[in-house]
Amino acid sequence: MSHPETLDRLIRRVAKQVRRRRIEHYALRGAFWGSLLSVLLLVVKGPLDEWALPLAAGALVLGAVAGALWGGLKRTSVADAARLADRAWGLEDRVATAMDWVGRPGRPPLVDALIADTLQRVERLEPRQTARRLIPRDGRLLPIPLALAVVLALAPAIPVPSGRLPDFSLGGEEEPQEARAGSPLTDERARPAARDRLKPHSFEERDFATRGGGTGAAMSGDLTAVFKDTALSGQRPDFQSFLKKGDERLKLLEQADRLPDLQSDFTASQYKMMFRKSKSLSGGLRPDQISPQKLKELLEEMERLGRKGGANWQGDAAEGMEALEGGEPDRALQAMQRALDKMRAQDEASRSGKNLKGGRESQRGAGGRDRGAGDGGAYEDQDFGEGEGLMPGRGRSSSPKGEATQRLRGNPYDVGVEGESRRGRKDGYDTNMTGRGGQMGSRLQYLGVVGQYRKMMEDAIARESIPRDFHSQIKDYFQALDER
Amino acid sequence: MTQDARVQDFITSFERLRAEVEKVIVGHREIIDHVLIGMFAGGHVLLEGVPGLGKTLLVKTLAEGLELSFSRIQFTPDLMPADIIGTNIIVEDTDGRKHFQFQQGPIFAHIVLADEINRATPKTQSALLEGMQEAAVTVGGASRPLPAPFFVLATQNPIEMEGTYPLPEAQLDRFLLKLRVRYPAIEELNTIIDRTTQAQAVTVERVMSGARVLAFRELIREVPIADHVRALASTIIMATHPQWEHAPEVSRRFIRYGASPRGAQALVLGAKVRALTEGRFNVSIEDLRALAAPALRHRIILNFEGEAEGVDADTLVAQIVEAAEAVIAQGKEAFLR
Repeated sequence: MSHPETLDRLIRRVAKQVRRRRIEHYALRGAFWGSLLSVLLLVVKGPLDEWALPLAAGALVLGAVAGALWGGLKRTSVADAARLADRAWGLEDRVATAMDWVGRPGRPPLVDALIADTLQRVERLEPRQTARRLIPRDGRLLPIPLALAVVLALAPAIPVPSGRLPDFSLGGEEEPQEARAGSPLTDERARPAARDRLKPHSFEERDFATRGGGTGAAMSGDLTAVFKDTALSGQRPDFQSFLKKGDERLKLLEQADRLPDLQSDFTASQYKMMFRKSKSLSGGLRPDQISPQKLKELLEEMERLGRKGGANWQGDAAEGMEALEGGEPDRALQAMQRALDKMRAQDEASRSGKNLKGGRESQRGAGGRDRGAGDGGAYEDQDFGEGEGLMPGRGRSSSPKGEATQRLRGNPYDVGVEGESRRGRKDGYDTNMTGRGGQMGSRLQYLGVVGQYRKMMEDAIARESIPRDFHSQIKDYFQALDER
Repeated sequence: MTQDARVQDFITSFERLRAEVEKVIVGHREIIDHVLIGMFAGGHVLLEGVPGLGKTLLVKTLAEGLELSFSRIQFTPDLMPADIIGTNIIVEDTDGRKHFQFQQGPIFAHIVLADEINRATPKTQSALLEGMQEAAVTVGGASRPLPAPFFVLATQNPIEMEGTYPLPEAQLDRFLLKLRVRYPAIEELNTIIDRTTQAQAVTVERVMSGARVLAFRELIREVPIADHVRALASTIIMATHPQWEHAPEVSRRFIRYGASPRGAQALVLGAKVRALTEGRFNVSIEDLRALAAPALRHRIILNFEGEAEGVDADTLVAQIVEAAEAVIAQGKEAFLR
């Protein structure tokens, strides 16, 4: 028996509605991705010239059409359509069941009654939308790229970076190379990479962190820089030594107030600050796009610093301000650059490897590295000999840790186990002790058994599905046993 | 008789029987419906509830409404298997010769009320097992069939656990449905008081014979079920198993063992009866939802965490059904698949 015409018609009607919804759904998705492509095309519309707009519009339309085609070509199964019809008209799975059973051979007689009942109900159905409109997430976001595309279409073309950085120096003042002659860094700078040639030397950022004052070739971020002015700078980490008495480096790091003040050394210099400000002022802009107001603020700041420290760049800063007020930004920039160069020169003159030695320590004068010895042997500053230190039973420490036998009474579990170890097997439950300790077997057995049960408990908690809320209760119970 | 007429006959008979029971039992419409569903589906029903809610009365009234034999077994700790299934006794014939004769136990009835079934020892409880599953008992090496239709209705009290023997899972699984009898509402309580404290004798009419019950059982098995509805039933059963790859989080967390294939049979058979009582010729998803809790609540064994947190089996089943529908729908609108 073929599908009754009425049911077929219903299924076709539902499938048609589904197809329409799918077309909408996938067209929206396609339009979204097409609009993203349009935005991309409009961003680079400069090079594309008059082709940008048609291409963008084409991408949008193409995306929508491709989506619609994809949705339209997808097949709707009879079962899905039947289920949708049942759901839409509240037919309680009659259509789906009838469609399932109508073609089966040897179907029970009740199926005919079902089909008849379903047909009767289907014929009375009012036309209705079976598949609700489902707007995809992409579709909900579609207005954003569309609006962006419209804005980009109306706006002038975005200039594409040419790959050449703006030249602020104008005068092309040479950097005084002799100031760093002979240092490894100078050698590196003497052979700038091809890309660096585009960059004016005057605006090069220097990596002060890598300026090695000591012997090691310290890398950026390497902690050896911290120890460069200490006696540890030349020592290699020694694991054996660490085991015996602790790594001196770690000890040094623990004493934070004795470390060189890296922040003040490397980041808080006036030159560095000014350099960053000037870079942020001019970065990515042409000289004519520099804000005069910001340039003025920068020059004022330089002048203020110069006035405060009696430095030699004060004049240049003042000259720059005058030039700015006179409407000569180029001259103002030149003056700023000169002042910046002088600041750098002064900064480098005041900085040397030796300066790292002090930091906060040097500011305190005598309260430096030798303070421990001077204080008459404070604990953390003791210099332990070989084989001595903080390990229990070693060293001259007055802390509770010391000779193990001396600590016996310090632990409540040790009470009552004093005695001498007897010969023979030692892994039994008894005390293996003679004397007074040997008479206290029951206590030690109890402790041993509790330990075993605690381990079993921990295994059980890890292995079996015990509610988390009970974990703490169980552990508390064993904790209570332990404290006995 | 046309199919429509057969179905109409079933609906009429079902409603008449329900009406007869409701002459005595106030409220509990859902419980009565489910008891009848269990009977027409050919299964057995376990009624759980605190004393005094009318469980025993419900079963007695149902037996009165059917032209079927009825026996009641009050389960006690000293009840023996022979007390249920019967035993061979020595009888003397007219010639004075003695021989063994099988004395049938109370299980040889169409409707058996096993009252407070959890009070008997497991040995005695298990005497019911063969009868419930095979509709036959074996005594002295001879298998004796039980009358058809054979329908066991058992009751148990969930709160008084002292001196009881909770039914083992194997025996619980043999009950098609487990129903929870709840307290009546206040209006129903007023009616109960009026009906039971006045001198009005209620007579229950016999409205259905055993043969008709058997005929209806055949009709019920003819009800078609769509593939996607059957798939949902299977998915619900699978979703009760914590080891299943698509098992919902609640199953993984609270269930030790899930429902057996008998659970799926109970679910679908019960749904078929419900479909016919609703005047439908097919099983719908709604039928599965309605029957999921009574068919599965006793087939799900909670793990320690589930027991410790007092997880309600009905809530768990509802969540599992929801999760199973999500698995079937694959989280997408049907038309997008």
